[in-house]
Amino acid sequence: MKIVRFLLAALLVLAGGSSSQARWSDMRQPVEYKESLYNNIYIYRSGNYVSMTFGYNSRIYTESACNTKDDRELPIAYTRFMTSGLMYAKNARSILEIGFGGGRTSWYLHRFLPNAQVTSVELDPTVMELAKKYFGIREEAKFHVANRDGRLFLSESKDKYDVILIDAYRGPFVPFHLLTKEFYGIVKAHLADGGVVVQNVEPSTMLFDSAVKTIGSVFPNLDFYLAEGNVVTVAYDGPKRSIGELQTLAKARQAQYTLRYALAPMLDSRRPYASNSTAIDGNAKVLTDDFAPVESLRAIEQHNRKWTGQ
Amino acid sequence: MDRAVIGSLTRAVIYISAFLIGAVLMGFEMLGSRYLYPYFGGGIGTWAGLISMVLVALTIGYFAGGNIVDRYPSALVIAVATGIAALYLAVVPATADGLMMSILNSMGDGPYAILAAAAALILVPVSLLGMLSPVCVRLLIRSTEQTGRTSGLIYGISTIGNVFGTLFTTFTLIPWIGSRAITYVFCGVLIVCALSLFAVSRQRP
Repeated sequence: MKIVRFLLAALLVLAGGSSSQARWSDMRQPVEYKESLYNNIYIYRSGNYVSMTFGYNSRIYTESACNTKDDRELPIAYTRFMTSGLMYAKNARSILEIGFGGGRTSWYLHRFLPNAQVTSVELDPTVMELAKKYFGIREEAKFHVANRDGRLFLSESKDKYDVILIDAYRGPFVPFHLLTKEFYGIVKAHLADGGVVVQNVEPSTMLFDSAVKTIGSVFPNLDFYLAEGNVVTVAYDGPKRSIGELQTLAKARQAQYTLRYALAPMLDSRRPYASNSTAIDGNAKVLTDDFAPVESLRAIEQHNRKWTGQ
Repeated sequence: MDRAVIGSLTRAVIYISAFLIGAVLMGFEMLGSRYLYPYFGGGIGTWAGLISMVLVALTIGYFAGGNIVDRYPSALVIAVATGIAALYLAVVPATADGLMMSILNSMGDGPYAILAAAAALILVPVSLLGMLSPVCVRLLIRSTEQTGRTSGLIYGISTIGNVFGTLFTTFTLIPWIGSRAITYVFCGVLIVCALSLFAVSRQRP
């Protein structure tokens, strides 16, 4: 799950003053509202689409959206890029997702890779409940959602995974313990041979720079995928994959799984990371369990990010 | 010992210490989340564990402080308590990870484990620091007519210290230096308070 955008309407409400809740609901009536342990969750329906949003301070963050008539569609652009790890992973037998949200990405992978074991971890039990109620998600032999903190789940797990997806934002908040060097060390220890990590990071603030430095301190190879305002980062150990290798594997996987969103075209959005990259602030620090000021980094806007090279 | 005579220097040291100790107390609670999150997750349960253990510790501190100071009405009581709390904080950075890990391995990560971890981190130092308020009230009161004003002042100052500690730790210290370094800063502040309180407790009025 991830902030995709907050609606302009929320700003109008802010300007409007005290009775924000009432004015908001006048504009768009949620199908369901639930206050969970961690979030204020609003479910909206619009035609065939259902969206799960988290409300904070009268801003609405869309976490996940789903076409109820077509459970293989990924309406939110960056979630398609979350599948780009399939071009890197040596095998695609087991997939772990940290931060289930509406479960779109993991369910999509489950539907197109029916033989892969897909496991997803979600902290908020109410999010899981609503995903099952509105998004047609269900437990299956090859699809499981665990109600757990992502880091705890991994620490206690003895399994290894070919692809680990990390998308654990909660509205505007980032749990610091899922963004430290120690955390990525645990992630790395749970990667199978030739495995990859795919992470969604919002690039508009300095938190992105520190996150990249941190991931880069554990994994030698990073590729970015620019996804309409979001950046999906693919990280892996071992020798660097050439564009030719990626194209070959993209074609092979496409032939094998007939994915709705073909992998090879995603390579156009790829930006390999070099340590001298101008996209990342040179002063950004590696985050550790000891020092991870995620909130204050997130408050520093980064307007000058320049993506170069391909 | 005559409760009516206590020098103005002593009073000043007690009030300043009340503020600083209050600040460290809540600052350490905020810091507790940084120690617990990596092991027990970023859930609401972690905060429930921390907050409840701080309040349990304060309860113990109030009872113990009140009883001890009636028997030994001296600033030495709070000087010693603060000194021991400082020593406890001094060993936290080096030992916390091992401790959290062993609690995780032996008790899992459920509510009991979170309570145990929060207790291990917080119970000893915060109980000792919680002794401050009743001890200070006993030392500062000159006459029964002033009981209300004096106890109100000491609780007010220590609570403003709590507020300052919460905000300064969250918005200045955590973005600036690491959790372990902050713990050492708190330890240093407590040592200064303990030594000052010790010094004034030796003064004959």
